[in-house]
Amino acid sequence: MVHALRRAGRYLRRGGMLISIRPHRTWRPAIAIVAGRRRLPVTTLLNPTFEVNLEAADLALKRVVDEGSFALAGVRAARFRSYLDRPSQVRTYLELINPPRPRFPRGGRARLDAVWDSAPRGARIAVTESLIVNALRRR
Amino acid sequence: MPAALDISAYPPDGMEIRLIERFTALKGRRILEVGCGDGRLTFQYARTAAQVLAFDPDRASIEEALDEQARLGVRNVAFRFGSVEHLPARGAPFDVALFSWSL
Repeated sequence: MVHALRRAGRYLRRGGMLISIRPHRTWRPAIAIVAGRRRLPVTTLLNPTFEVNLEAADLALKRVVDEGSFALAGVRAARFRSYLDRPSQVRTYLELINPPRPRFPRGGRARLDAVWDSAPRGARIAVTESLIVNALRRR
Repeated sequence: MPAALDISAYPPDGMEIRLIERFTALKGRRILEVGCGDGRLTFQYARTAAQVLAFDPDRASIEEALDEQARLGVRNVAFRFGSVEHLPARGAPFDVALFSWSL
């Protein structure tokens, strides 16, 4: 990762901006059931393998700043939501994600089914994901 | 509650661009995109950028991007198969290097 950042830096003019967009390392994907204004949290998804990759990305960005080739211009985090009509679409949703994919914790899928079964008509499943943007200015 | 949407695991169109533009403009800029995939994000900013070099190590994704590029008639983007490590040691300077979900 550091090598890729350094290489990209060679292609940037002085003062140019390196932008990294990636999932937030500690804001795990969360599943809830929403019905009108009611929001029932179900579970958060796990992805320990990917969290290691995200930690390495954080360290690589820090390293190129520490080396002096870039200056940190800013960091911004945000959440976004996708809405699904039924539990079976959660599998489809997860399959859209490049591996390693997040997974339910033990008992999480069963809890989703149980909460869904008791949800009022018209309820939907909200998947909340997060991203983080780092901006580094080329020195 | 928002209306039902096609299932997507990515942010809604425009969200990433708005976040990027808190730090740098993309309009009129020369942009290097690392890990462009099928060009999902590329096509959101390409029409206002001056020039884009976008690449990805997944050949199938680049082929999808090229198909979409032909369909949209976008002319200022060069999609390439490969990774940043395989670029020449130095190149013409870009204004922005964008690692889009690829670091």
